[in-house]
Amino acid sequence: MSEVALELSEVSAGYGTARVLWEVTLGVGVGEVGCLLGRNGAGKTTLLKTVMGLLRPETGRVRALGRDITGWPGHRVHRSGMVWVPQDNGVFPGLTVQEHLALATGDDDVDAVVTRVAEWFPVLAERRYQEGQTLSGGERKMLGIAQALVTDPQLLLLDEPTEGVAPQVVEQLLGVLAGASDGRSVLLVEQNIDTALTLGGTAYVLEEGRVVAAGPLSELHDSGELQRRLTL
Amino acid sequence: MTSPLIDAFNVVSLIAVFVLISLGLHFTFGMLGLVNLVHGELLLIGGYATYAVAELTGNVLLGMLAAPVVAGLVGLAMERGVLRFLYQRPLDSLLATFGLAVIIRQAVQLVYTSSPRNVPDLLRGSWLILGVNIPRWRLVLAVLAAVLVIGAWWLLARTRFGLRARAVVANPDLAETTGLDVGAMRAGLFTIGAALAGLAGGALAPVSTLDPQYGLLFLVNAFLVTILGGPGSLTGLVAAAAVLGGSLALLQFVIPTVFAQILVLVIAVVGVRLRPLVVAALAERKSHRTAVAAE
Repeated sequence: MSEVALELSEVSAGYGTARVLWEVTLGVGVGEVGCLLGRNGAGKTTLLKTVMGLLRPETGRVRALGRDITGWPGHRVHRSGMVWVPQDNGVFPGLTVQEHLALATGDDDVDAVVTRVAEWFPVLAERRYQEGQTLSGGERKMLGIAQALVTDPQLLLLDEPTEGVAPQVVEQLLGVLAGASDGRSVLLVEQNIDTALTLGGTAYVLEEGRVVAAGPLSELHDSGELQRRLTL
Repeated sequence: MTSPLIDAFNVVSLIAVFVLISLGLHFTFGMLGLVNLVHGELLLIGGYATYAVAELTGNVLLGMLAAPVVAGLVGLAMERGVLRFLYQRPLDSLLATFGLAVIIRQAVQLVYTSSPRNVPDLLRGSWLILGVNIPRWRLVLAVLAAVLVIGAWWLLARTRFGLRARAVVANPDLAETTGLDVGAMRAGLFTIGAALAGLAGGALAPVSTLDPQYGLLFLVNAFLVTILGGPGSLTGLVAAAAVLGGSLALLQFVIPTVFAQILVLVIAVVGVRLRPLVVAALAERKSHRTAVAAE
């Protein structure tokens, strides 16, 4: 790996006395896609919350975009150039689609932002005056991704972006994400091997809060390691 | 015999009082979710700040301008010192704000004793409007309530601060990772709520009598309005103030105040029970309108 966009060194974290992550070490290079794979409850979302400053690591260090961000609050992490697209609960109830976008960009010219977003997800332009909680699951995922992309982040953290979405919407989301990940650092958290394979990169497999396998995604896939670890 | 116009004005006046005493709680309880039992004491601080500055300078208006500043600063100190650790912990916030309320009440009693104090009416007398005498300060209170509601709506619905505040209230974790300093936003909202409570306490002082129990007079009605209106809904707050304040004023024409207040409590309980039906009906209408507009 050349220059590092995100690096976790021996990170342990959890909720209160319940530890979820155990000395996790992983890295994503600048302009590369890293895939964090694991079953439900493996600790994937906990890891993203720790990176984003919503949880404080009990041990270890987190470095991102050339800075040690261990213990930074979420808003400071975001301002350093990193954006998180959560798996669910990713909308603000009561805020319209265009208010979500205005919030993300801080831009007064919301028309220009909506026009830009319409190129990725035309349906969001049609729903611009609709409140977040009234959108379908797929539209919420689109809004989360659009909110992230309009800020042109240096590092994008995607938490199961296609989970629970209709197949035709999955195709649309993956098309946009493939374009967005070109030359951008991405950490994709997934449990769906096919989705991960679309974006490729280096893979880390998480089991019960520990990294149990790491290497190029295609190699892990071809060796059958991924299927063995991720399927019941 | 009273004129219907005076009766109507009395109804409007009491609705305005209900709006004034509840507007600060809209921010601290309705939006931030803190079970804010110290709200009454923020009104108390506003009342006594007005009294103290008026005594010191002989200028009641200066006292009323100082009231929101003093209450806002006290609110900010409470939020930063204690309450910021208690968001999403309703029982803990209830206990903490109850304790803070007792401390403030006792402190006021230590300094000013239990003796009642009066703040002079800034605009004594009445204006002759449509042939009837309308008390000047009561009319000012009604206008002040309207201006503050419009101001609060504008702040929350039309400014960048308001957009951020609504985001923080709706989903704090997402707001934080979208780059918003949730702690600072919450402190700002609590300070605004405390300042509004202080302003109300100062503005109502000339039509009340100040003593250390002053805030408790308003606390129950402020909570009734905020809960009936729906936490976080400014439109709901005004509607609830109209229902409860209007009912109290009308009932007081025919029965003693104590019984009127009991009936208002019953109306509030029934109203809270029926509110989900009303909210669902309004939401359906709004959704229908949005769908029609989209077509």
